[in-house]
Amino acid sequence: MKHIFLLFILVFLAMNSCQKEKITLAENVSETFYVENNGASMRILVEGNTSSKVFIIFVHGGPGVGAFVYNSDYLSNNIEDKYAIVYWDQRNSGASQGNSNGKYLTLEQMTDDLKKTIQVIKFRYGQSSEVFIMGHSFGGLLTSSFMTTGNNQDMVQGWIFADGSQNYPLNDTLTRQMLLSIGQQQIALNKNRVNWQEIVSYCNAHTGNFSFDESNQMMKYAEDAETYFNEVTKVNSQELLLNNAAKFNWPLTSMLMNYLYSSEANFNKDLAKIEFSSYLNKVTLPVLILFGQYDFVCPKGLGYDLFNRISSTDKKIVISPISGHNIMFQDEVLFCREVNEFIALHR
Amino acid sequence: MENKKNFKRLLIGPLFLFLSLHGFTQTDSLISGVKISSNLLISYNSSLIYPGIRLGIEIPVYSVNLIKNANAGRKKSIIKDHFISVNSGWYHHPGFHDNLFFNAEWTMRRTYKNRLFNDYSFGTGYSRTFLGGTTYHADKNGTVNIIKSAGYNYALIIAGAGFGFDFSKHLGIPLSVFSKFNILTMFPYNSTIYFRPIMELGLIYKPENFLQILTKKRVKKK
Repeated sequence: MKHIFLLFILVFLAMNSCQKEKITLAENVSETFYVENNGASMRILVEGNTSSKVFIIFVHGGPGVGAFVYNSDYLSNNIEDKYAIVYWDQRNSGASQGNSNGKYLTLEQMTDDLKKTIQVIKFRYGQSSEVFIMGHSFGGLLTSSFMTTGNNQDMVQGWIFADGSQNYPLNDTLTRQMLLSIGQQQIALNKNRVNWQEIVSYCNAHTGNFSFDESNQMMKYAEDAETYFNEVTKVNSQELLLNNAAKFNWPLTSMLMNYLYSSEANFNKDLAKIEFSSYLNKVTLPVLILFGQYDFVCPKGLGYDLFNRISSTDKKIVISPISGHNIMFQDEVLFCREVNEFIALHR
Repeated sequence: MENKKNFKRLLIGPLFLFLSLHGFTQTDSLISGVKISSNLLISYNSSLIYPGIRLGIEIPVYSVNLIKNANAGRKKSIIKDHFISVNSGWYHHPGFHDNLFFNAEWTMRRTYKNRLFNDYSFGTGYSRTFLGGTTYHADKNGTVNIIKSAGYNYALIIAGAGFGFDFSKHLGIPLSVFSKFNILTMFPYNSTIYFRPIMELGLIYKPENFLQILTKKRVKKK
């Protein structure tokens, strides 16, 4: 018994020694650390060229999807060679951990989490570090909240908005319009007629003031819709999983349970009513807006709404002709080129 | 007359039941109070590629040696053991967490005449995780500190099923090898549960005199 006890003391001490801070400024870094805030410890993976002192924080979609999925080889070879990408798992997502913390799962709390994450990045890599935030899908709403709250935008150099949403009610309206108009065109062309007829009927029957369930149903149709076009690059999530799960030590069951919890959490009902369009005039920073032509989930109309409302003089909107809702995978060349140019210009 | 008939029925019924039960059950010898040594267990466990270890003690609670008559006068023997096992384990998942856990399990094991065995276990316990990286906390003023030994406490439930081979008869060494599949569940994990499938490969050592426990031992003959 004595020996067993001693063994565990040794294991405990060994694990504590693993908690030593390891900060590297180099060209090809891959390091994981955590940010603790109000009941959640959020995983952060920093990959790429930290010696550039430029950090792009990926603010993932969902809620609950996690940042692991964004870490593709193409981004590693075409952005991380120049700058560092920060893959941040929001609370109750990916590898983020905690106990009974569901009550803190709010947009306000997540906005504070993002602020704390930036503070930690600057503490760890130096206050002179330059931070860009990139919001995708739900990350668009979260970064909109961040950019329009207090003086938060002073903490970052620029904002990249990729297939995101800053206004959920407008998002529903635009998704319905896009499904309806393109659906009718496709039916006339006799393409995927059966599927489109179902979608068009649904949109005709639900015209506005969407309930939470109606909104969810339209999102399901929107996710399917882009797959009906041959010109849209297909996202092979199975390949992504097989290539990256072991390589990046994905905690698969944590990712699954966090996703199931976050996507079903009550706060999604609150999010359905949230809009930041009317606050976007506060934004004065450089902004890059990237959208897929075939993004039905977050239609490009959201990008134009953002573009027209921000006060930034330095702003650009780019629409990919071969992309749906995941421009970073579906049009990697355009995505990396635009992001690199934007950062080179504003760092 | 009617009453007599009813009385007969009342008498015959239980009598038949008694005789049939007696006929089907076997000569049962119950030996209570036999001291049986506890087992020591060590195993390597892994979830896909992530390593871990488990150490445990299996304390015997109940043992039945069931001897059945098989074909051609041969006899079949099955030993059914019940243990309470006390375990401590650890696994390492880089970048995610290290998990140190302690649990008690109820284990049921059946060892056949050819010394192959299967077992099932179910238990509860406590888990302490250590996050897989330096953990920072930023306060309201933006002052950042490092949290030492950051991690979480969880309640734990573990259930498993496995099989193995007992070498004590063939090689004369009191050793068994086993393989087991477990599901480790921890909660509350981000207000939900965390589960982890774990494959285990290990050894059970049966010392002659280690933590001897007064155990109910029974020999059943069929």
